[in-house]
Formats: sequence, C-alpha cells, structure tokens
Amino acid sequence: MIQHACFADTLLDAAKEVFETMIFMDLQLCSEPGRRVDGEALMATITFSNSIEGCLAVCTDTTCAEAIAINMLGLEAGADLSVEEVSDAIGEVANMVMGSIKSRLTDTYEGIQVSIPSVVRGRELVNSLGEKSGRVSVQVNLEDAHLMEISLLYRESAK
Amino acid sequence: MAKSLLIVDDSATMRKIVIRTVRMSGLDFDRTEEAGNGAEAIEKLKQSPVDIVLCDVNMPEMNGIDMVKKVRAELPTCANTKIIMVSTESSQDLIDSILREGANGYITKPFTPERFQEKLSPFMN
Repeated sequence: MIQHACFADTLLDAAKEVFETMIFMDLQLCSEPGRRVDGEALMATITFSNSIEGCLAVCTDTTCAEAIAINMLGLEAGADLSVEEVSDAIGEVANMVMGSIKSRLTDTYEGIQVSIPSVVRGRELVNSLGEKSGRVSVQVNLEDAHLMEISLLYRESAK
Repeated sequence: MAKSLLIVDDSATMRKIVIRTVRMSGLDFDRTEEAGNGAEAIEKLKQSPVDIVLCDVNMPEMNGIDMVKKVRAELPTCANTKIIMVSTESSQDLIDSILREGANGYITKPFTPERFQEKLSPFMN
C-alpha cells in the first residue's frame, strides 16, 4: 500500500505537470498550508475505483477559475467567458490531474477506472467520503497569486 | 503538403487545447474541424474525409472506441485516415485493444507539443 505522504507528492507532481505543460501557469506549493479558498468557488470532482477508490477534487475561487480557463483557451486576459466555459475548463483540469495521478500510481494500483468530471459552484465547499477514508490535501499558488486546493479522498476497496 | 484534421472530444475546452497544441507542435493543417462525440465525427467524415483524426476515448452518445470500429467497418472513404486517440485513460490493455480496432496511435493526457510532433509527423508526408 502506498504511503499517505506519497499521495501528497503524487498530487503535487501531477498538478505541476498539468499546469506547466498544458495550461502554462506556474504552480507552487502554498506557503500557508491549511489555508482555505474564500468566497464563491468552483469544485471539480472526479471519482475513481478498483483496488483503491475515492475522489479527486480541485477547488478554487471564481477569479482563479476564470484565469485558468483563459489560459487553457489561449484568450487575452479579461476575456468574457460563460459559466459553462469556466466549468468545462475546471472539469478538464480535474480530468487531466486524475489522468496524471493514475499514470503515476499504475505500478501500485493497476486498472483504476475513472469517472467523468463534475463541477459544483458555491461557498465553503467541502467533500467527504465517509468513515475509514484517507484524505490528502495540498494547497498551491498559481502564478504566485491564486490559491487552489487539490484533495484526494481514498480508501482501499473490498475488491 | 498541408493536411486536414478532425478533433473529437466532448469538452470544447479540450478541443481548443488540442488545436493550440497542434499549432505549437509546428504541424501544418489547412483544414481543422471539430466534433463533440463519435457520432458527430462519423457524420463529418461521411461528408468530408480527413487525413488525421485526434479522438478522445470517453464521450457521450458514441465513444472513441466505437467510432474507430465504425470508421474502419463502414467508411471505405476513410481507409487512409489515421486515427490517433487522445485520452487520460492510460492502461496498456485499453491502448492495445484500441490499436487492434484500427486506431493508428495513442497520446495520453497531459500531453505536450513535442508528443504531438512525435506521434503525428510520421503521418504528415
């Protein structure tokens, strides 16, 4: 079984790969661990299952989500975006980070199946997987400005 | 010689990212079209075959694997069309089965312009 601390490194490395190679935004570990996303936020979640099961969540405020979407779409700063475009972009971030995590865990956990991403919008968003689950969370800064929280809820499956 | 390209993905954002990455890879396409799922792609290919299809695996209505099967079984005008799958799905079993169905290559997400260059350039001449 993989160690809890390794999951944190895996999360961070996967997110760095996605943001640096496909979104062209600098991503660094936040200097204030435990800091939460304030105000109106978007949370993209994607579930996974097999010998390990759980949920990856990417949560950030709407300003950061719009900045991510603008970079992903190659638009000028300040461009008008629809709610759907921003949600689609954040959902794809979760999808790609999960894809990268899956590749990194494939030696330990074969055949992980991944769902399609879903996105919710609201304030003080929190996800849960119930009892006997582990939770790894990393807070990162994008472009030295925006805060984003990436969390992995997981448990060993009965399979 | 310039080629034609069809990008198939249910995410409009991902289609834009693929277009941008292809552009950054330096590959030259004179026509680029988009489709939101396999069924839409089939309709576009019936009307106008392309040289290369970049196709997601998991999509609503018709997924990428079924699209590959249908193109290879029912669209003789696309016999020379190269189909490259682009997906976060990375299991070797899945990749092998898609290649057996008639896909010509596989790119995992996240991807880079260099990866596109490597996988697509053999089909550009």
